[in-house]
Amino acid sequence: MSILKNKASVAWLVFPGGAYLGIVFALPLVALLATSFISQDNHFTLAGYLAFFSDKFNYTVLFNTLKIAIWVTLICLMIGYPVAFAMASARASTQALMFLIFIIPLSVGVVVKAFAWTILLRSNGVVNRILTSLGIVDEPLKLLFTETGLIIGAVHVFLPFMVLPIFAVVRQIDQRLAEAAWTLGVHPVKTFMKIVLPLTLPGVVTGCSFVFSMALSMYVIPSLLIGDRYQTLPALMARSYLFMRDRQGGSVMAVLLLVMAIAIVVFSALTTRRLQRSSVVSQS
Amino acid sequence: MSALVLNEIGKRYSTHQVVDGLNLQVDSGEFVSLLGPSGCGKTTLLRIISGLTHCDTGQVLLDGKDITTLAPHKRGVGVVFQNYALFPHLSVYENIAFGLKAKKLDPGSIDTQVKQALLSVQMGHFGDRSISELSGGQQQRIAVARALATKPRLILLDEPLSALDRKLRETMQIELKHILRDAGMTAIFVTHDQEEALVMSDRIAVMNKGCIEQLDLPARVYSQPETQFVLNFVGLSAQWQGKIQSIGQTHMVVRAGEAVLRCPSRPGLPVDADVLIGVRPERIQLRPTKSVTVSAESQAAQFASKQTHNHLSVTVRDMVFRGSNTICYLEANSVGAGPIVVELSANASFTPSTGEGVEISWAVQDTLAFPA
Repeated sequence: MSILKNKASVAWLVFPGGAYLGIVFALPLVALLATSFISQDNHFTLAGYLAFFSDKFNYTVLFNTLKIAIWVTLICLMIGYPVAFAMASARASTQALMFLIFIIPLSVGVVVKAFAWTILLRSNGVVNRILTSLGIVDEPLKLLFTETGLIIGAVHVFLPFMVLPIFAVVRQIDQRLAEAAWTLGVHPVKTFMKIVLPLTLPGVVTGCSFVFSMALSMYVIPSLLIGDRYQTLPALMARSYLFMRDRQGGSVMAVLLLVMAIAIVVFSALTTRRLQRSSVVSQS
Repeated sequence: MSALVLNEIGKRYSTHQVVDGLNLQVDSGEFVSLLGPSGCGKTTLLRIISGLTHCDTGQVLLDGKDITTLAPHKRGVGVVFQNYALFPHLSVYENIAFGLKAKKLDPGSIDTQVKQALLSVQMGHFGDRSISELSGGQQQRIAVARALATKPRLILLDEPLSALDRKLRETMQIELKHILRDAGMTAIFVTHDQEEALVMSDRIAVMNKGCIEQLDLPARVYSQPETQFVLNFVGLSAQWQGKIQSIGQTHMVVRAGEAVLRCPSRPGLPVDADVLIGVRPERIQLRPTKSVTVSAESQAAQFASKQTHNHLSVTVRDMVFRGSNTICYLEANSVGAGPIVVELSANASFTPSTGEGVEISWAVQDTLAFPA
């Protein structure tokens, strides 16, 4: 292992990955940034941004994109948090089964899953047939091509990315901490709020930033589940590039999306670090 | 009045009866150890007393009140966990204040009580530290202080010293005993370490297979074990298999191999019953085989000692030096297989060497007999 003690040789280990990312990721990103600021006659210009922000319609799109992403994140959190606890406390065989249920869908492409939801959610689809036959609704609900349908589909696709980080944290929490609080005379609900919840926050922050940044930039799911009438930023961006041939307009939107995603990642990294300064998750 | 009474407590996990119709009474201010091998049900019993586990049958009474179905946070039973279970995201001070805040005390008295608790475990200046900055022994003290701060009616300790190294553990045994005694606390202490139980307890309950085999003073658990299990679990002993030959008024005669041994008679053991004979190692005297001239005086003494002592001729198999004493492993063909253990103090006048033939003797009343 003496080779690893030499810092110069260790640095070479980064080279393949660094070179790959540099060529296929960083370089195009710089090009994208440049495109958003440079006019057709090669001058620096803010025209692209001015054009984007002067169009009222774009605010609606921005608002819709954020709204859907927030809803998807919140619902994933509400479903995923208890599931992660159930998974962490389940016996080994049940835990393996639950893992399969969450991991196997990840191997199915997003297009396939989104398309499957169009079949399930349409007016004579399985969901509506169950609802009507149980007498919960009198006539089929309109689910497909609505925000509700989009959120249902997106939550399904992104749920594993919420459950797994929370599970990883919950699994490390010593169950005896809650028991100790309980025997100190603290009510179970308060025990959860003061002991368990703070210790799981790093997982919650990671899960939320995963799901939020993915929900912000999803393209296939909305285009199949809600269609062109409802525009989100990624859809608008794709239209600029593919149909309008407006490279600058598309680049501007891409940069905005990137800025929002980076803001989320930085914010969550800072929050996690702040939480971890005051809490060391495992003490062993 | 007993502080804690356990009535016919039973707990079953699928097919395994973990606690089996167990009874126990603990007096106020008493320190009782539950001593037993892992899997004997001692930790389960502790969880039943604290309310973290429900028992299938039986009753738990605390200060005369039935608390069998009461939730843990309403019981006033403090627990010190094996791994301490300190809250890693809170400071030392906040850990101790945690239980007090739930009692809705005013901030001033919480502060006083936290500081008092810290002082009682000699950790007065550690309030601001985070848990991860503490050593094992310090964490242990904070766990005790946290449990004591809420002024529980009973404190349960689940092998709290097992994670510490030997030296520190021995210091903490004494210190913990003093802390709990100064607080006047009734305590139940779970351990699998017999030495720890002997050092710390007012009484010891030796547990096996979900039952208490013997509940007694430490000295009596050691010198007067009631069952074979207690004999084997607590301390070393020399042991032989034998058969009862005759039973007298106070003594009975047991034939073990070719040797004849005498021991105090014990009710429930008829003539011809198979028995196990046991002797604690420090009760056995060791001397060279029939040496030199024997005066009339010492012959008389020898005779008297025939009445009150058992004698055996043995061969030394092994000597194990342990610092303050030496353990001799001996073998006697006349009484059949099985090692004989004798403890020699460091200043013993006679130290045999391996392979040497020696004679051992011990008092008849130190001879323990158990149904085999």
